[in-house]
Amino acid sequence: MSLKPYSKLPELNTANVLLVENEEEFQKRLSEAIVRQENSVNVTVRLARCLPLPVENAEGRPRIDLVVFIVHLRSEQSLLSTEASLKHLDSGYFLGKVCFLVTGARSGTVSYERLASIKRTAASLNCPLLMTEDKTTEGVHTAAQRVLNILKVSAGLVPMASGLYLSTLIRCSMPTDSDWQNQD
Amino acid sequence: MDLFAELQSAATQLEKVALMCCHAPAVPNGKKANSPTDILRIKEQMSNQCFEMTVKLKAGKSRIPGETSDAEKDVSECENEIEEAKINHCNKTLALHRMQIWQAISEKVKQNDTEAGRMRASITHTLDLCSKIMKLQQESRDLQDEVTEVQKQKLEVKRLTHEKMREMEELKRMREHPEEGKYSKVLQKGQSVLEKYQRMTTITQNVLRGVIIASRINWRDDPKLRDIALGLESMPDCD
Repeated sequence: MSLKPYSKLPELNTANVLLVENEEEFQKRLSEAIVRQENSVNVTVRLARCLPLPVENAEGRPRIDLVVFIVHLRSEQSLLSTEASLKHLDSGYFLGKVCFLVTGARSGTVSYERLASIKRTAASLNCPLLMTEDKTTEGVHTAAQRVLNILKVSAGLVPMASGLYLSTLIRCSMPTDSDWQNQD
Repeated sequence: MDLFAELQSAATQLEKVALMCCHAPAVPNGKKANSPTDILRIKEQMSNQCFEMTVKLKAGKSRIPGETSDAEKDVSECENEIEEAKINHCNKTLALHRMQIWQAISEKVKQNDTEAGRMRASITHTLDLCSKIMKLQQESRDLQDEVTEVQKQKLEVKRLTHEKMREMEELKRMREHPEEGKYSKVLQKGQSVLEKYQRMTTITQNVLRGVIIASRINWRDDPKLRDIALGLESMPDCD
């Protein structure tokens, strides 16, 4: 059963974000950072290894306003797991309720193919793609801030703004051949 | 991300303006229950969700035709699965029926009455027949195997015959060939010698004719000389 964005009603001053990460290592720190930063609205962070989510507690689960896929460029498994999880997401989520978080892009040892692949995926789904640093505290802090900004919009907490605008304004652009050459 | 901050502050300003118009005091962060801000906010959230749902519905209606093929593929896959499930179900039902019938028959046989006796007799008869059939099948299989064996042998013999034939031909050729070669050599040599002598004879005849003509004697009067002069034209016999 795929996750559906509009099957539940929104709650007052509440935003729920789902962090999907195969390794379950970065998401804990990120969730702590997110909760620590935000105090004007109630932010609930839910963690998952992969999608689909278990059916048992589907009833008690609140409306998920934003799904964040964390991709570590260091491991191929992380990329594959993300691509497998994407299939279990309702198409409504791709209207500004999905975002990708890429870590380790600065490391020179990772292959550029992985980054290009995730960029292509994000571009084809019209989703924003954030580059973050997971090793330092400031990096996690910044990542949390950026996720929060997007979350507030997609949860409808910012008046006169909607997640639909996000997908057109800050979506990832398709990597071109010149990008390849620059990398080389 | 400054853009976000600006957007948010602008939106909050707008919210405040909206509240002023409603003549309500702006309550920061809306901690109090049911304050106008809260109501406004929940209204905002609801309208946002409604708006997004409408957009999604509209997007669903104007679906690109490329996606339908995907759906069709899914449908055909599902149909295949259904078909497989049906066949499976049918097979299982048949097996179940057989088992039920067998159960009924064995129950019946266990009872001790005339019918059971007859059934038992027919069962033994059937078993006999079955064993006979199996024996016959085994025999026919054995025969078939033998036939195959014989055919194999036949093929082998054929192959051997061909081989022998080829060998014989080879031998024959070997026997004829060296003699041919020997004789041909001698013949060629003789031919060349003959040709050489013929050439010499021709030259000699020409010279002799020249001598006879140059001597200006009347060769017709002398019968011996006439014979020689007339014989000059023809080659002496090779034999």
